[in-house]
Amino acid sequence: MAPAYKLSYFNFRGLAETARFLLNYGGIEFEDVRVTQEEWPQLKEKMPFGTLPVLEHDGKQAGQSIAIARYLAKQVGLAGKDDWENLEIDAIVDTINDLRLKLLAIHFEKDEEKKKTLLETAAKETIPYYITRLETIVQQNNGHLALGRLTWADFYFTTVCGAFDFFFGGDCLANSPSLKSLVQKVNELPAIKKWIEIRPKTEF
Amino acid sequence: MAPAYKLTYFDGRGVAEAARFLFKYGEVEFEDVRVKRDDWPQLKEKTPFGQLPVLEHNGKQIGQSISICRYLAKVVKLTGNDDWENLEIDATVDTINDLRQKISAAHWEQDAEKKKKLRETLLNETIPYYLQRLEAQAQKNKGYLVLGHLTWADMYFTSGGTGFDQFVGSNTFDKYPTLKALREKVEALPAIKKWMEARPKTEF
Repeated sequence: MAPAYKLSYFNFRGLAETARFLLNYGGIEFEDVRVTQEEWPQLKEKMPFGTLPVLEHDGKQAGQSIAIARYLAKQVGLAGKDDWENLEIDAIVDTINDLRLKLLAIHFEKDEEKKKTLLETAAKETIPYYITRLETIVQQNNGHLALGRLTWADFYFTTVCGAFDFFFGGDCLANSPSLKSLVQKVNELPAIKKWIEIRPKTEF
Repeated sequence: MAPAYKLTYFDGRGVAEAARFLFKYGEVEFEDVRVKRDDWPQLKEKTPFGQLPVLEHNGKQIGQSISICRYLAKVVKLTGNDDWENLEIDATVDTINDLRQKISAAHWEQDAEKKKKLRETLLNETIPYYLQRLEAQAQKNKGYLVLGHLTWADMYFTSGGTGFDQFVGSNTFDKYPTLKALREKVEALPAIKKWMEARPKTEF
């Protein structure tokens, strides 16, 4: 019998990795579809808004990586206990995503001079601004990003923070022991450790 | 007695208007704080991540406009009945936000040549791409964006309408009759109509 869930994305960790972490953490079988660049143009039109990742379940499709992660978190017990707790998790995830989007915008800047300046600002100001505040939050939250316990916010940060190193030009968590410790803790959860060992090895 | 909620934002509709719509729809009292530009630098450092809007409730502060809306939607009962239904709403809201961010990027572009090009692409390609698909989705959902009934996705969509009209011109929606009818329906809800008449008239 086919798995209950099918997750389609490109052959990267990228925006789908949080969902993959959650599915593995919860021991939920899923079809981990990796679309090639050749296949994508034809498949694009079949996706709700021409984007990936897309989660399929019970004959229905839904896009949007963070929305998918929020849904899966509820299935595997990594969401909040009430609406305000979920807001706290959501707000941290959105904040980390804000940083990701700022860096992505720089990445796509075509003007080389402008890009150089933007990268410098990112490394010296933007990334430290966010990382310092996130570090404080983790220190005040029992080693986690929200609610003093493991939530999908911890998975989200762990899967995207590698990209921050690229823009920082080094280990952006070098001065953030609590965040570093959190990432390590997540990566060493048995189900996650196993997934990291078996998952396709891709550049990002 | 002070209202249970305080929403702080700049003096504009911007990304806070969806939350205001939800408060008004649900007849939930809130303090609608509008920060003047001159007062912002001092206040910025007191916010979680130097951004607005911020929602305050029970002595806690939280940022992130869409997550605030997701929380308020639960308070005013404009959510789905289960996790997948909520995923469907989330995915549509995130998609509309994707479009909003693209429009915002064009709006804030300083270089006149670049801005002209971005605007052309938006008007000729991006906006039609999104609105055609949202139109088709609304046609399949009894005139609502998701789940065949009013949800916070419809509030989110409609609250951005005034700003959208400013950017693209108010007759854009003539091509998308289902979406146009949806906007009109939401704007005609007594609480929303009253709010739109009473709210401060602002540039953005």
